[in-house]
Amino acid sequence: MHEVISSVGIDIGTSTTQLVFSRLTIENPAGSYRIPKITIVEKQVIYRSKIYFTPLISATEIDAEGVKRIVRSEYAAAGMKPGDLQTGAVIITGDTARKKNANEVLSALSDLAGDFVVATAGPSLESVLAARGAGTDKLSLDNKTVIANIDIGGGTSNIAVYQRGDLRGTSCLDIGGRLIKVENGSLTYVFPKIQALAAEHGIRISVGDRADRGILYKVAELMAAELAASLHLCPITESHKKLYTNDGTPIPEEPKIIGITYSGGVADCVYGSDIQDPFRYGDIGVLLGQAIRENKLLSSLTLYKAAETIRATVVGAGAHATDISGSTICYDRSLLPIKNIPVLKIPAEDEKTLESFKDSILRQLPIFYTEGQLEQIAIAFDGHERSSFKAVQELADAIIEGAKEVIESRYPLIIVVEHDIAKVLGNALNFKMGNKKPVICIDGIPTASGDYIDIGEPVAGGQVLPVVNKTLVFNT
Amino acid sequence: MGEKDLRSIIEQVLSEMSVSAAPGAQNVAAAAAAAAPAVNAGGGLKIASKNLELDAPVIENGEFGDITQIDIRTQYLVENPENKEAYADLKYKAPCRLAIGKAGARYRTLPQLEFRAAHSAAQDAVFNDVDEEFVKNQGLFIVQTQCDSKDTYLTRPDLGRKLSEEARETILKNCKKNPTVQIYVADGLSSAAVAANIGDLLPAITQGLQSYGIDVGTPFFVKYGRVAVEDEISELLNATVVCTLIGERPGLITATSMSAYIAYKATVGMPEARRTVFSNIHSAGTVPAEAGAHIAEIIKIMLEKKVSGTDLKL
Repeated sequence: MHEVISSVGIDIGTSTTQLVFSRLTIENPAGSYRIPKITIVEKQVIYRSKIYFTPLISATEIDAEGVKRIVRSEYAAAGMKPGDLQTGAVIITGDTARKKNANEVLSALSDLAGDFVVATAGPSLESVLAARGAGTDKLSLDNKTVIANIDIGGGTSNIAVYQRGDLRGTSCLDIGGRLIKVENGSLTYVFPKIQALAAEHGIRISVGDRADRGILYKVAELMAAELAASLHLCPITESHKKLYTNDGTPIPEEPKIIGITYSGGVADCVYGSDIQDPFRYGDIGVLLGQAIRENKLLSSLTLYKAAETIRATVVGAGAHATDISGSTICYDRSLLPIKNIPVLKIPAEDEKTLESFKDSILRQLPIFYTEGQLEQIAIAFDGHERSSFKAVQELADAIIEGAKEVIESRYPLIIVVEHDIAKVLGNALNFKMGNKKPVICIDGIPTASGDYIDIGEPVAGGQVLPVVNKTLVFNT
Repeated sequence: MGEKDLRSIIEQVLSEMSVSAAPGAQNVAAAAAAAAPAVNAGGGLKIASKNLELDAPVIENGEFGDITQIDIRTQYLVENPENKEAYADLKYKAPCRLAIGKAGARYRTLPQLEFRAAHSAAQDAVFNDVDEEFVKNQGLFIVQTQCDSKDTYLTRPDLGRKLSEEARETILKNCKKNPTVQIYVADGLSSAAVAANIGDLLPAITQGLQSYGIDVGTPFFVKYGRVAVEDEISELLNATVVCTLIGERPGLITATSMSAYIAYKATVGMPEARRTVFSNIHSAGTVPAEAGAHIAEIIKIMLEKKVSGTDLKL
């Protein structure tokens, strides 16, 4: 078995909008005498768009029609039609203020992006997609070490830490190349938090000032020092904590970071393409890149080359946002695709007994009410200790009792387990409910409380479902 | 493995290693511990990402504990490793006998004993019979092929493919005729596989088929059964699909692996290519309950497409 599925990634960021098409090759490496274990064996970016400045109507609103024109022209240039695509992700990243009309933007794109769109990305998802696009996860696995990726864009720096291929933490700071803008030799915009950071160190800058390279480089050095602090390379100060977006928190202190990759627009300046005019892009991105490169603490880490720099996030969205479910699952095809399903996660301690398992569902259900009605949810748990036939039967009974309200609602019963028991559990649920309730039961997908998932239409002859997990909860 | 067996093995190993300095036969176990001092020195290692404690062998009263309980994926015995954590992480991915150290050019005592224990478990799986009480508790009646003993079974594969006259009568008397699907269990080359998997595998297949609304015949157990006896059973009961759950020849990693051989309208003498097979069903492979659910779906597809084996494109 060998199947290629096509995926689109569209990233509408604070400063730039980009698009990539990729090919995901899926195979069943298990061999013909085994139960299938279908996996994505190769991810290849086949088309990279030009990099556009994100069209804006105002400081807080994206020009939806403008974005649509860009996307349409890039589809044409690549020779792609929406019908050619099986999966993908559209993300609106960066400065949250810009997300005001996000839904409008997404609906403008809906006929181009098809049925698989992802809405706005939380900062955690952005960090993860950028790091995957930069190849940080793979580098950490290949080198058996701990590597952080910092994706430094126009408005924010998204950090993700990988230890031997596993995600260990994410964070997001208001540090970016376009937080100070320069036009005709003077400052036209200074982000308040950066102004405050400079002031704290006795540097006064404000809109209208002459753009002095020396002074702005000092500010860039301060920003680089804050990035070093965010990786725990030096102690964290009280004022540092104010730099996290949405009152977020730093990455965990453990594991200790050994290596580093840089992505985002500023990354090319870090890796050293020297640009003579420091204000070439009308901002301090070039200076920030230089300051990061010269920072003593950051230089103490092993520097790895990122697979992608300015395109890391969009490549992450296009090639790395989609996972596929386990190969032995249970679903009703007519229900798919399903988008934006919030996850009700049963924590490990509640999984210990069937009674607490049931109670956990009942206790959490009220969170998922909107206007007095239960919304569509997915019930998720690990399932590791319950793989015998008897245990699965008991589990099915507990779900039927605990999720009675879901079963009585107009929505299907959606179960997402991590451990490989979805098919037998799905059969048990169907059997016990007399095939009267539509059931989707998939495995191989780790989830956390607060996640949202999309489940796509089946691929690989119907054996697996593409799944996009949209918010990976660390520091959102 | 009993304490006595263990002692005799240690004695044998020691004599082979010619530990002349050993302080007399009365203290053999202590000598074994002395012969492998580094075994004790490693200490537990925490794999941060997997949250596991690596086993460091514990020697109490001069004896290893039950060595068959050691998970070799977490066993790490190399002295002074360059990067223990990375190797241990790699090793955790597969149950291979890697990173077990050495004593000169030879195995150390513990890995040597483990190897022999695994070999014994494999032999036991082949030579022991399935516990009849267990089979009956699964609601299965027992019939036998034309083999009259384990010896005949192992030396005459042809007889393991034919039912005894008594077996034919018992099956005809007890089973539903013309079933859409006939499932039965056979010992094959691992009785241990039957004991380990049938309780989960059989009901999972049956429940899956029932939820698809597919008629299932009366299951039973065939002693001294080889795969191809399913052809005779299929003809005897006029089943549309026959499925045998049979113990696989054991190896040194697991003795409890089971396979399912499934055929559409099987007939005696048909080509082997007409069988669809799923192997590696055991607790560390595909777990039996989930495998059962998968097999049920394969049978459903087989009934729709009316073919099996290499003709069945999945």
